[in-house]
Amino acid sequence: MATVITDQGRVHVDRLARIWEERPGILGWLTTTDHKRIGLMYFFTALVMFGAGGTEALLMRTQLIGPNHHLLSPEAYDEMFTMHGITMIFLFVIPMTTGAFGNYLLPLMIGARDMAFPRMNALSYWIYLGSGLLMYIALAQGHAPNAGWFDYVPLASKQFDPGNNIDYYGYGLIFNGISSTAASINFIVTIFKMRAPGMSLNRMPLFCFAFLAVAFALLFALPSLTVAALFLELDRQLGFHFYDVAFGGDPLLWQNLFWIFGHPEVYIIILPAFGIATAIIPTFTHRRMVFFPLVALGEILVAFLGFGVWVHHMFTVGFATITTVYFAAASLIIVIPSGIQLFAWIATILTGTPDFKTPLLFIVGFIVYFMLGGLSGVTLAAIPFDQQVHDSYYVVAHFHFVIFGAAVFPILGGMYFWFPKVTGRMYNETLGKISFWVTFIGTFITFFPMHIVGILGMPRRNYTYPAHLGWTLLNFIESIGAYILATGLLAIVFNLAISLFKGPAAGNDPFEGDTLEWSTTSPPPPYNYPVIPTVSSPYPMWDKEDRERDNRRLARGEGLLELGHETPATTAQDAIWDEILKMPSHSVWPPVTALTLFGVFFMLVMAHYWIAGGFLVACGLTLIGWHYKGVRV
Amino acid sequence: MTEPSSRAHRGLHPPQVTRSSAAFTASAAGRVARQRLAQPNGWWGMALFLCAEVALFGTMISSYFYLDFDAHRWPPAGIPDPSVLWPSIGTAVLVAMSVPMWLAARSARAGRRGPVLRLVSFAMVVQGAYLALQVVLLTQDLHKFKPQGSAYASIYYTLLVAHHAHVLFGLLLDVTILVFVSFRGLTNYWLIAVRGLALYWHVVNVIAVFVLVVTLAPSL
Repeated sequence: MATVITDQGRVHVDRLARIWEERPGILGWLTTTDHKRIGLMYFFTALVMFGAGGTEALLMRTQLIGPNHHLLSPEAYDEMFTMHGITMIFLFVIPMTTGAFGNYLLPLMIGARDMAFPRMNALSYWIYLGSGLLMYIALAQGHAPNAGWFDYVPLASKQFDPGNNIDYYGYGLIFNGISSTAASINFIVTIFKMRAPGMSLNRMPLFCFAFLAVAFALLFALPSLTVAALFLELDRQLGFHFYDVAFGGDPLLWQNLFWIFGHPEVYIIILPAFGIATAIIPTFTHRRMVFFPLVALGEILVAFLGFGVWVHHMFTVGFATITTVYFAAASLIIVIPSGIQLFAWIATILTGTPDFKTPLLFIVGFIVYFMLGGLSGVTLAAIPFDQQVHDSYYVVAHFHFVIFGAAVFPILGGMYFWFPKVTGRMYNETLGKISFWVTFIGTFITFFPMHIVGILGMPRRNYTYPAHLGWTLLNFIESIGAYILATGLLAIVFNLAISLFKGPAAGNDPFEGDTLEWSTTSPPPPYNYPVIPTVSSPYPMWDKEDRERDNRRLARGEGLLELGHETPATTAQDAIWDEILKMPSHSVWPPVTALTLFGVFFMLVMAHYWIAGGFLVACGLTLIGWHYKGVRV
Repeated sequence: MTEPSSRAHRGLHPPQVTRSSAAFTASAAGRVARQRLAQPNGWWGMALFLCAEVALFGTMISSYFYLDFDAHRWPPAGIPDPSVLWPSIGTAVLVAMSVPMWLAARSARAGRRGPVLRLVSFAMVVQGAYLALQVVLLTQDLHKFKPQGSAYASIYYTLLVAHHAHVLFGLLLDVTILVFVSFRGLTNYWLIAVRGLALYWHVVNVIAVFVLVVTLAPSL
């Protein structure tokens, strides 16, 4: 039941609207600290990055459509697959899930009016934008990173890669890591401290558990990448010897550090998908999730266990058998929490009354690909098999089923699901279903033959292949599949773009959703909720009496917090109302601070260390400005 | 008219809840701090940031031993074993500064601005002296061997300089917070900042002990 506003309530709502009014125009967007606006900026930036990464993929598939093609030179092909990986992982999926979906939806779902640190939230976005620009400036100059997204030394060392391509990679990822670290701190504090009074941890939606797990995984995984990249740049720019065998260094140190980050990263990519699935499934099956506590635990366990499996990326480097066997066993244990969730999703769909609208279709597609990708994952945990197919297209097939089929499908489903909430308009259901089937089939045709071509021995990352090896037909099919897939994705964008202008009004709650965001208007007002919502279960929208109670409180003017940008802070576990916080509104400092940091990292790439130091001092000064103005301190 | 209060809805009535951002005097801010049931957001933010920092140093220390276990001789020939005396004295003094920082956080919660300023200033001077000593020691080391000479030298200097950078960052936090607390007063915002500062130094001090033990390991 949606909020009903009486005449008495209208007075309060108008007052809140005045207090929370956003600045108009471009300046309003530059200086905003509203989590919804920041979420939208993340969304559109990540979408552009998705387009860039997709274009790189299509260029590679076009090159490989037949043998001996030379659309891209070997050097350009290296840059393409490197930038494709970096873009899709660091500049598309993470910003799209944590940045866009997390930012926009998480405070709404927990009944808060903003994130815990609104200005730092804006800073995260601007740093992300800066890091994306930094790496695409490299591509525009023809110096894009070119040693793979995993960037193994010694290939990535100064000796074998003397340009500054890799420096863009090293500093770009450190820069990007600042954004993700700040964002994950922000998410954890928001989840722990900003939940509506009454939403104890066990009443928090599963979507939020998934994002909590992601935030913790990011927080502890990123330092490893930062250290690895720092060592790499010290080696490359100042002549240190972390990775140089001749001076007592070890290239395997890079591989270990990279994958200690890199494997948790895989779960950082997939866990938001789990979260989105657990938001969509109950709504369209009209029932609560089965095994709620087990699913919540499963989400957290996947993130936790993900830290103990990294060597399964390195089965061919020559570790002792005891080491590899341990990591193979650890990798297989992940099947348990993943399997619990998989069965819980399927059981919920089977025992509910599923209504296969577009968002649920994408979740079904996600379950199919997660299962297929999971099964090929089990085969890869078998060490002898892994050693045979290592660095072949079999691995490419496996991880694209998982991180495209499984991780991106819920993002696409989520785009449909929350489109009415964000825009106030409905998408076109028929075109939505068509776009699903085209994307689903395109994904299968693109990535399934890669299993076969991989077993036939086709290595990854080769810019072309000879005609007589029996790979030609399968590669042709894969490339056609890629075009079908691209058509499906364009159909989604087309559907949403047209619906933005032509779609019928959606109302507050078109799908009878279960979480709080459906109780407020579409799009939500800057203050999210006129009264701080009452919560007594993880499905607050299905607790009719709570929503009626909120309507009565609005009419009475109770629980409004209308003395400024106010929101409640609660205790971490039981969500007992502890204090009322006044949140900062628009601030010019986040983009300015991000700009100075961009200067620091750009100058480091260019090896102008003194200028970089100057920018760092400037960055410090902006932080003083940050605390000088803004909220009344 | 009031709603029947249930366990689920306790604490839902705003008049009982503090508007903590409105605490602009030291005594009001102290009262808010003592009434809180949970740690404030700023404390949580600092605690989580420090988790990332601990992970960062954990990774560097792991890398140190990873390279150590690879090596035939550690440190390699031509590099003297690290000297123990002065780094140990320096670290002991630095770690002792957790006491004034703890007292400063306590005074802040009690709403007493004077002791906060005096304790943080005292700690800052000593921490600054520690950094100066470390810079001197580092310069002496640089005369003996360069970071470009071997993997040992690379990780040795990187670990030390990363730690020094954290001490320097802490000193900048000290200064900033001292200035703001002096001129703005011990408001709710800056009270939480003082508590965050104390937490920062506690963790840096623990890291200092680990960095000391690791870098001295060849001599122990």
